[in-house]
Amino acid sequence: MKIIKIFLITILSSVVLVSCEVEDGKDLNGPSTESISSDLSRGELRDAIFGVLSDMRSRLGTQVDGQAVAGREYWRVASSDPRWTADLLTGTLDDNTFYTTNPYAARYATVKDVNLLLEGLANTTETFTTEEVAGIRGFANTIKAHELLMVLNQQFENGIRVDVADPQNLGPFLSYDDSLTAIFNLLADAATDLSNAGSDLPFSLPSGFSDVSILEFNNALAARVEAYRGNYASVLTLLGNSFMNMSGDLSTGAYFTFSLDGADIANPLFFALNSSLSNVRLAHPTFITDAEAGDTRLNKVVFRELPNADTGVLEPNPITVAGPDGVANSADDLNATHDVFVFTSNTSSVPIIRNEELILLAAEANHITNPTAAVAAIDVVRTAAGLSGYTGGTTPEELVTEILKQRRYSLYAEGGHRWIDLRRFGRLNSDLAGSIDRPGDAIFDRFPTPANENR
Amino acid sequence: MKKRTHFSKMKILLLLIFAPAILLAQETITGKVVIEATGAGAPFVNIVENGTDNGTASDIDGNFSITVGTLPTRLKVFALGFGTKVVDVETAGEITIQISESTESLEEVIVTGLATSVKRSNAANAVSSVSAEDLAGLTPPQTLDGALAGKFAGALITKSSGAPGGGIAVKLRGVTSINGNSQPLYIVDGVYVNNNSISATGLNSVSGAASGGNPSSQDNPSNRIADINPDDIESVEILKGASAAAIYGARAAAGVIIITTKKGKQGKTKISFSQDFGFNTIIRLRGQRNFTEASAEGTGAGNGALFTAARDSGTLVDYEEEIYGEEGFISNTSINVSGGSENTQYYAGFSNNEEDGIVKNTGYNRKSIRLNLNHSFLEDRAKLSLSSNYIDSQSDRGYFNNDNTTTTIGQSATFTKPWTQLFPNELGIYPDNPDAASNPLQTRDLITNREDINRFIVGATLDVKLYEAEKSNLKLALGGGVDYYELITTTIFPKLLQFQKPGNGGVNGVSALGTTENKDANYSAFLVHNYTTSNSLNFRTQAGVTKQTFYRNTVGNIATDLIGFETNLDQGANISVNQFRQEQEDQGFFVQEELNYQDKIIGTLGVRGDKSSNNGDANEIFYYPKASAAVNLHKFDFWKIPVINQFKIRAAYGEAGNFAPNGALFTTYTNTLIDGIAGIVVPVSPLALGNPDISPERQKELEVGFDASFLDSRINLEFSYYNKKVDDLILRSNIEPSSGFTLEFSNAGNLENRGVEVSVNADVLEGDKFNWNTNLIFFTNESEITKLDVDAFNLGGFGAGLGTFRIEEGKSATQIVGNDANGNLVVLGDAAPDFQMTWSNNLSYKDFTLSFLWHWKQGGDNINLTNLLSDFGGTSPDFDDIDLDPAGVTANGPFRIGAFGSGNATPFVEDASYLRLREIGLYYNLSSKIREKVFGKYVSNLKIGFSGNNLINVFDYNSYDPEVSNFGSNGLSTGVEVTPFPTSKRYLFHLAVDF
Repeated sequence: MKIIKIFLITILSSVVLVSCEVEDGKDLNGPSTESISSDLSRGELRDAIFGVLSDMRSRLGTQVDGQAVAGREYWRVASSDPRWTADLLTGTLDDNTFYTTNPYAARYATVKDVNLLLEGLANTTETFTTEEVAGIRGFANTIKAHELLMVLNQQFENGIRVDVADPQNLGPFLSYDDSLTAIFNLLADAATDLSNAGSDLPFSLPSGFSDVSILEFNNALAARVEAYRGNYASVLTLLGNSFMNMSGDLSTGAYFTFSLDGADIANPLFFALNSSLSNVRLAHPTFITDAEAGDTRLNKVVFRELPNADTGVLEPNPITVAGPDGVANSADDLNATHDVFVFTSNTSSVPIIRNEELILLAAEANHITNPTAAVAAIDVVRTAAGLSGYTGGTTPEELVTEILKQRRYSLYAEGGHRWIDLRRFGRLNSDLAGSIDRPGDAIFDRFPTPANENR
Repeated sequence: MKKRTHFSKMKILLLLIFAPAILLAQETITGKVVIEATGAGAPFVNIVENGTDNGTASDIDGNFSITVGTLPTRLKVFALGFGTKVVDVETAGEITIQISESTESLEEVIVTGLATSVKRSNAANAVSSVSAEDLAGLTPPQTLDGALAGKFAGALITKSSGAPGGGIAVKLRGVTSINGNSQPLYIVDGVYVNNNSISATGLNSVSGAASGGNPSSQDNPSNRIADINPDDIESVEILKGASAAAIYGARAAAGVIIITTKKGKQGKTKISFSQDFGFNTIIRLRGQRNFTEASAEGTGAGNGALFTAARDSGTLVDYEEEIYGEEGFISNTSINVSGGSENTQYYAGFSNNEEDGIVKNTGYNRKSIRLNLNHSFLEDRAKLSLSSNYIDSQSDRGYFNNDNTTTTIGQSATFTKPWTQLFPNELGIYPDNPDAASNPLQTRDLITNREDINRFIVGATLDVKLYEAEKSNLKLALGGGVDYYELITTTIFPKLLQFQKPGNGGVNGVSALGTTENKDANYSAFLVHNYTTSNSLNFRTQAGVTKQTFYRNTVGNIATDLIGFETNLDQGANISVNQFRQEQEDQGFFVQEELNYQDKIIGTLGVRGDKSSNNGDANEIFYYPKASAAVNLHKFDFWKIPVINQFKIRAAYGEAGNFAPNGALFTTYTNTLIDGIAGIVVPVSPLALGNPDISPERQKELEVGFDASFLDSRINLEFSYYNKKVDDLILRSNIEPSSGFTLEFSNAGNLENRGVEVSVNADVLEGDKFNWNTNLIFFTNESEITKLDVDAFNLGGFGAGLGTFRIEEGKSATQIVGNDANGNLVVLGDAAPDFQMTWSNNLSYKDFTLSFLWHWKQGGDNINLTNLLSDFGGTSPDFDDIDLDPAGVTANGPFRIGAFGSGNATPFVEDASYLRLREIGLYYNLSSKIREKVFGKYVSNLKIGFSGNNLINVFDYNSYDPEVSNFGSNGLSTGVEVTPFPTSKRYLFHLAVDF
């Protein structure tokens, strides 16, 4: 029996040993979001800021492609996902598939990054100066406004939610006009913060922001929003405070940068020349046929040609996208001769907003009140494109036609601008009537609100 | 030995007395009958000279002596609870006869507990057992889990990939979890064995599969239970639900598969050698489209002329045949040595399994070494068992399944036209494929996608009888085990590949290396107390503690833009690293009381308590109770139905848990990079909002049934009905994307599975020469989401336009929905089969045995997107047929493309019923006469035979095989097909020799 007692004691003690406390599980694979939102430290500030800027590029390709296809700038073709040439050309859009949901979710994810940063800033125990706090807040709200504008550009009169800080208690959907107002107010508050931020921000920025200050960037964005709202006087004021330069390089501006390093991403808008139907962007034929002779901006598309395997002589390499019946050589095909080649490598930068757009915004803001100034601005862009000065009429309608044309060629394939521009002047259906490619295709003016929004 | 034969001790005594007298005139055979499993002597076994009434019985140690008239003769050896054995005896003298417990035996013991086992006749659950013979005896399986298919009731076993080396989903009694683990827990000799499927680093960066509609892994990885050598296994017991598995607590909701490996037996050293050779070949080719000049032209301008030119010069290529048409060589070698003394027994085995795939450069090689030791000491009061296993396996998996870049071998092949010329020229240079982004022949020949495993599984148990008296005893059982492996995945896409060339938008070569270190350990300590009252009421009390720890660290490196043809990671211009870690600690205790009244009424009550670092509160204990009762009606005096010699009714209730998936507790930032500076963002895919209050899922299962045996157990019937409810389902459900997340974790629903399992086993013919045993299993399961606190949501497919699973209150958990032609979301099918039925037969005639297993799965639908993809490529074999369009106008190809364009998922959901001859084997055991003539005494057994897997397959399903899964083994989404690695049938020749 003695042995038994020893055994029992051994067992009991092992039971006690085993039954000690279990440590709470830890998140081993990344910082929890609470680490930022509960208390933003100076060390985490850079992580959060660069995270926000990096996240702005997420699903950028899907967003730009969706809008560019809608505005008949180009055709996006992916053999493993034919919805690019089906839904997006027929206008029968699904509220629960990638072209609707992915850009929407990605933009709001960036808004979440910003909101977590702002929450952390409010809860911080770090000794940020008042100026530093203003600088961080001004920057964060500028980016937030940009992201909300990107969502609104696709949602149009569906409107969007602006107050999304609490996932369990989301704010209401605002109308299109109210959403634009909210975005403008966000930018205006941010501008105030940025002007109180002193000369040095407590964080650095990527090279895509080296040309412009955050305040100038803010004002440029605000000018775009005011143009969308038709507040042309305000546009001119804001442009004056932005980096617009009538005699400067048209490409000056803020950019998304890309690389192939580690966790970085490659430019999603780049495909090699002569790509197959697996994945390709093909210029809409009207981009070439509608162009004025000598327009150097036609170099944004490249004629498809390949050397003959035997002779080495270059031969045209046109491409046909079979219609919804899957059979080529019928009336519902898409026939393309040119590749889109705005971005020439997978590390090319993509503009967020740049001088060329600002000059055309100035033309637009002046086109009713000061046609001469409007034409002067238009001619800056025309001259840069190798064209002679504008000689057409100067009625508002004629000027709008010219400005829309210049915007179409100047901003081609870099942000899906044409679809938004035609829409805000009510010219989507009239201007795109000649660009309907196939029977059954149609123009749409907005993407559906994702099904999971449970409106 | 539990029952005495009718030969009384007196007769034995008389025999012993008179035997010497008879000896003078006749031949006497003496020897010992031993139990094959243990090597122990088998007492009171009948030994009869076949065809006569001359017989005897073994004594208490198994020794016997029988005198026969002439030699050679044939002895029939039999006893209740053991299989009958017939032995040819050529010469007088000493022989040893091995007998084994029969599977239909009344006294069969099943391991169901952590420290105890129970007689099958007393079990309150229908625990399925698969013996070594059933598992691997018929035809050598590739993997353990694959070998279980069709062998027991209540399982849906799906092979995700035809690539040799695993990738199998096992679901026991329907769906047990939506987003959590749905794979059973595997325990080998007491060691919790890891069954992860870990995707190779870098594959997704090339395929982009997860960048589109579905963020899941579609990388075709194998699952780690494939490492266990089926040849080493003695028996498998399957606890299908919580009513049987409650004692395994918080990890047991998906069922428990308990595996016992072979042990050495006391006696002469036995050496067994076996060698199989064979080959595999694709089950079914989809075929080629019958092109005409016009239809070829329809795939692109100029193609008509290319087609006619190729047709006229005879250079049309059947790329399906070219890629999937290989015959993969199979070779399995196994050698094992076992034996031992009274105190110490050992089993040592080595095996080498090689199998090439039906696609060039794919294949599987597993080397496994096992050493099992048993040692008894302290005058047999203590028993130490050690089992150790080392596995070195290598699997080349090819490059298949879904992608978003049209680069996988499967996808690019479906786009390739037969007139396109893709073979390399005399310099070995492959042309670019004008039809797709990848030249599938080049991809097949040049890429590497390999999994390398180095794994140790070591376990030990120590049983000590602390105290033993007439009426009671106390036993201590200590156990522990470690499962450690290193998995290295090597993925190389050389820069020569069409889609790696920078001119084609490639990244100039990808080399990726993933290293996973995984260490799971478990420890347990139990006390078992037995007490029997004077009126044969037995109380068995047990209590104990358990602890498990889990550790995983995966580091993945991807290098792109490779220098020259180097593949070292430092030889690339761009290098990215990712790491995934997982640590978990579980602790539990268990108390159980069993009451047994004369084997007539057996009742059990128990409770398990578990806590885990994977719960929101790590020290909150979750309790899982169980209760069961079995009544052996035939043991009562009132039982007066002689034709039914056994009748047991039983009922069991139990609860078990399932942990939240890793990461469900947290909302985690992921890292990103811009301009060389790191940042943190809420994760893009999937954007899941964590929930710190998540609690484990709780399964509550009630099982009732009866077992009956007829005609002295020649016919056995087992019937079970179960109702399995899962409460607090952990769902990763949709959340408004404007929140910044697309998914959130919550305990937000309940589901229920109901099912019936019936099995009938019969010895149809029992003769001297001809024997026929047949076994019929029928089972069915029906599920329903009984409660859902979140909105209905889709998961596991590619959206409503292509067919998707949908979790919806009041509906089947495995329903497949999609838009119909009018754009309405309707139910298009259900992945769960209506029923499954298997029929296995074992026929023997003299020295020949023929066995086969038919498996019929009726119903159950798949989402088949392979045809749609080949429609896009214009290559579907039925492209020009007209049988899908209800109006009978549009050919199938344009019809499916049109349906896709209008978001109509109807044509993509297909019935996946099948009837297949899963296994068949014909063996010949060399008769002892010939054997001894040729080999003398050196060879004790020699067996040769032929066998095959999947030799006959009957299905309407419009692709390679209805058994397929694009999304691998976990979760709901089995049965989605996107250009998979096709499955194969196998033909094998066998040779087995025992020395």
